[in-house]
Amino acid sequence: MKFSVFQVSRKGGREKNEDRMGYCYTRQSGIFMLADGMGGHPQGEVAAQLALQVVSAMFQKEATPELADVDAFLSSAVMAAHRQILRYSIEKGMLDTPRTTFVAAVVQAGAVTWLHCGDSRLYVVRQGELLARTRDHSFLEQSKTATAAGMKLPERINRNVLFTCLGSPTKPVFDVAGPVALLQGDRLMLCSDGLWGSLTDEDITYHLGHKPVSDAVPDLVEKALIKAGDTSDNVTCIAFEWETPDGFESTRGSISTDTVIDGVFASTVQAGWLDSELDDLNDAEIERSIAEINEAIRRSAAKKE
Amino acid sequence: MSKVKPAPLPPDTKIGGYRVVRKVAAGGFGVVYLAVDAEGQKFAVKEYLPSSLATRAPGELLPQVQPEKLSLYRLGLKSFFEEGRSLAQISHPSVVSVMNFFRENETVYMVMNYLEGASLQDFIITARDQKQAKVFRESTIRSLFDEILRGLRIVHQHKMLHLDIKPANIFITDDNKSVLIDFGAAREVLSKEGNFIRPMYTPGFAAPEMYRRDASMGPWTDIYAIGACLYACMQGYPPNEAPQRLEKDRITTALARLRGVYSDNLIEVVEWCMSLDPLSRPQSVFTLQKELSREGERRYTKLSVSEKVRLQFDTMVSDTKKSAQKATGAMGKQK
Repeated sequence: MKFSVFQVSRKGGREKNEDRMGYCYTRQSGIFMLADGMGGHPQGEVAAQLALQVVSAMFQKEATPELADVDAFLSSAVMAAHRQILRYSIEKGMLDTPRTTFVAAVVQAGAVTWLHCGDSRLYVVRQGELLARTRDHSFLEQSKTATAAGMKLPERINRNVLFTCLGSPTKPVFDVAGPVALLQGDRLMLCSDGLWGSLTDEDITYHLGHKPVSDAVPDLVEKALIKAGDTSDNVTCIAFEWETPDGFESTRGSISTDTVIDGVFASTVQAGWLDSELDDLNDAEIERSIAEINEAIRRSAAKKE
Repeated sequence: MSKVKPAPLPPDTKIGGYRVVRKVAAGGFGVVYLAVDAEGQKFAVKEYLPSSLATRAPGELLPQVQPEKLSLYRLGLKSFFEEGRSLAQISHPSVVSVMNFFRENETVYMVMNYLEGASLQDFIITARDQKQAKVFRESTIRSLFDEILRGLRIVHQHKMLHLDIKPANIFITDDNKSVLIDFGAAREVLSKEGNFIRPMYTPGFAAPEMYRRDASMGPWTDIYAIGACLYACMQGYPPNEAPQRLEKDRITTALARLRGVYSDNLIEVVEWCMSLDPLSRPQSVFTLQKELSREGERRYTKLSVSEKVRLQFDTMVSDTKKSAQKATGAMGKQK
């Protein structure tokens, strides 16, 4: 598998960034995740971080190096995440539970399968066209579908309110879609409502379709922040581009999972939810990178002798 | 926004068991120092200190990074590691080698062997100023590039591309070895002041596909740059930029002027390497090496009279244009 990936999370005008994102992969399977901790309830960032941790831990356990059943994995992982959040709130004796949205995409065997719960979205862009996007679990989005189907909805509901999420006492509602076979150059993007809330689908599709993800992601995030101004929600976005497996690897940061040894697992998801800032590279990772490089230097030097 | 460059570490600063002697270079990515270890051996130490993202007051050790630039700073750090990782895997006399990598002063340092000498660019400039027909002798060019290609072949064998080969990144040591330097992935990421990352390429040496940044980059992309370096060694100047060539290609005419001065074979190799279509170039370094090392009698085809006249006419027209522009002070685009 070969893909390039880029992720950015920026705090808008909010007090804290409750968005979390990350990805991990084995030799033959990869998962990309994003969670947006909900305001109006306590500790949204904990819920978001827990969701990522639980799902990535399960992925690590079950992707050996492929998941046996992607649909089943996603469904059970999201429920496990939900239960973990509830458990956390019970342990802490909280009066209200932390809540989060969740969207994840699993790529394996050249196809993508995704799951979402709430209003964090996944976009699939192929050759500059929007191929698919998730439908939010909000009254607003669902009312469009309902109206189109000739159904009448009560007038007085807040249409932006989500009717499901992880961590709520009611059982979460989620959708699984796919598998969709990937073609070279396909771009997939996971984003929080901070991004899609201030940009149109056309805008998003255009940027994703016309630039490498390493340009499109920062550009989109920047645009969304500027457009929303001082009161902007946090904007978080992770996107990846599917590349040909045999393409020549450059030094510019495409990820080829072929170099991953069997049984080994790479992840950007951090353990411990206490990190207030989810950085791409934390201290431990910096130390690990340095150790890796020095190890490679020793190996090369040994070869020479 | 401060435009002040972060201050380099002062001489005699101790970092990771090395003592800074002086700053030797600075770029967007950071600073390179000449440093010595306890035994007095010289090293080049590259400090990650992106000038657009970090500041450092003179005399200070720790760089300051504003919170909003932190994620980009860390991203650049990743590329810096990428460069270290790439170089660490390679051990070849024609590729700069990394000896150590360490963390200090809240940033990271890459220790490389210190090369004494000058870049190929310096040599070209010195040579062309002598105003002779030949910038370099053909045998010099062939043996220089033979070494570079050996190094590049190893780089490609490690499934990496250099992507910024140019005379400034080819170093000629005082004991006459050529070494490929600056796998500047870090600098590339940080090439743009301001918000975000832009790709970087050097006009003249970057293949057309580098501008498109699509999936068509490969060994042939570096080979284009090698062709452009050969060209620069023969002409004394870099070739036109790829986008300009796509509009109107003057390479063949420019190379025709060198006929009789350099062998037909060498001229053909340059044209081959610099084909605008990636597929028309030598697809691997090995193919190019074979062609470049081909022994046998070199053929020199002098220009025919009619060709000479045409070239002279060309020169005259462009000279007239230039002087006309100078005379009128027009800054119009030369078409």
